[in-house]
Amino acid sequence: MRPFLLRPFLLRIIEDYWGILLLLIAWESWVVLSRVNVIVMPTPTAVLGDLAAHPGVYLDNVGSTLLVSLFGLVVGMAVGTGLAVAAWFSPLAAGLLNPLTVLFSSVPVVALIPVIARLLGYDTSTVLAIVVIITFFPSFVFASSGLRQPPPGSEDLFRVLGASRLDLLRRLALPAALPNLAIAFKLAAAHAILAAMVAEFLMGTSGLGYLFAKTKADFQTEQAFGASAVATIISASAFLAAGWVEKRVRERYS
Amino acid sequence: MKSSALGALGIAIFLALWEVVGRTGLAGISWPPLSDVLETLTDASRLPLFQRALSATLASTALGYAWGTTAGLALAALAHLLPPLRRGSDRLAAVLNSVPSIALGPIFLVLVSRESTPAAVSSIHVFFIVFVSVSAGLQRATPAHRDLFSVLGADRFRRFGRLELPAALPALVSGLRLAWPAALIGAIIGEWFGAPRGIGILIINAMQNFQIVLLWCAVLLAVGSSLFFYGLLTLLERAAYRRFG
Repeated sequence: MRPFLLRPFLLRIIEDYWGILLLLIAWESWVVLSRVNVIVMPTPTAVLGDLAAHPGVYLDNVGSTLLVSLFGLVVGMAVGTGLAVAAWFSPLAAGLLNPLTVLFSSVPVVALIPVIARLLGYDTSTVLAIVVIITFFPSFVFASSGLRQPPPGSEDLFRVLGASRLDLLRRLALPAALPNLAIAFKLAAAHAILAAMVAEFLMGTSGLGYLFAKTKADFQTEQAFGASAVATIISASAFLAAGWVEKRVRERYS
Repeated sequence: MKSSALGALGIAIFLALWEVVGRTGLAGISWPPLSDVLETLTDASRLPLFQRALSATLASTALGYAWGTTAGLALAALAHLLPPLRRGSDRLAAVLNSVPSIALGPIFLVLVSRESTPAAVSSIHVFFIVFVSVSAGLQRATPAHRDLFSVLGADRFRRFGRLELPAALPALVSGLRLAWPAALIGAIIGEWFGAPRGIGILIINAMQNFQIVLLWCAVLLAVGSSLFFYGLLTLLERAAYRRFG
């Protein structure tokens, strides 16, 4: 085991996090120097203090946001992959679905939140629906292109050996699509939480977005920023974790 | 040709379903028929309202798009030219992208004016997409080309300007295409924090006053303008790939 050395460790931290550290230092000193009202803009240290002082409030809301994002992510990816498989089986379905998904992938989904809320009600089901929609598109697009790109020649081999269309899907196309699905997972994971938070902000029932809206209206700005900081950390870690999964899948299946 | 006919059929089926669901009231009063929405959208008395809202939102989006592209390009170039800064700038961009947009609103409200908040929120969305695509694009120049430039005595700045930046152009344009809907979302969310007018304001007001048809109109305006610019940028992307790809 190597001895722990402080200097290389610090250098590494600075190399990795100089941008974030600069940002935090600039924020802290700007709030202190410009004497801006702390209700309008708290310092990062004050936000950190609030996080340490009221962990219970945050934990409750983190739980509900995480649950709805995770569930929505699973459903969205399942629906996206399912439709991609349908499009793989039938050229008719592919022809009907492809332009619609291109159309929808350029739609600002946030603009749909109020419409969906009117349809499903102002509660968690709307939040769930938004997460499903936002995770559905990347999984459909990436799964479709992955299903169509098995290793060259492998499809002929399967045909020669008398594989049925279903065998072809199960043993060749789906495994070949896994790396692409992993990319979709990486893209969707970070967005799922942020989209859930925007929807919660508008619905106002539970979760980090709700906590943000409530505390901001009550001028508990530190807690509002705390909720945002927690969401930022979760979303960034989801992005990193999903990136790790994506790398593993890519190494294993391609 | 056959696939585009099928695609048109798919979109037609979708629009027809929308109309039928609205006419029969299957989804309740919150789902008006498409024809009602289009009628309100083209109603002459509403036109000034829609025009003001759309032009305000598009102006913010364009401004945020320009800021975000500049910032994304600058950080990607900096990280490329000074490799020790690379890991840190990747992390900075990833964290900035993970900040919820609804939290960016109040921050920019203090930093810039109420009118500029939508553009500022939208610039953060654009910044990340441009940074990621340009960073990847700058790596696209082949080692052989790099070596050639070095042998001919080009320093890293000249190599950057003459070789790596042109090689990154297609990636930049792809990023720009993906960034437009993101920029529009940023502008709409930014408007919720006290902007005087815009599509975001229209959406929130219609939602709170239960003006269902107006709400759908606002959503259609957002979707339509997003599609229009997305299509335009797709054409630009094809041209860029033909020339530099």
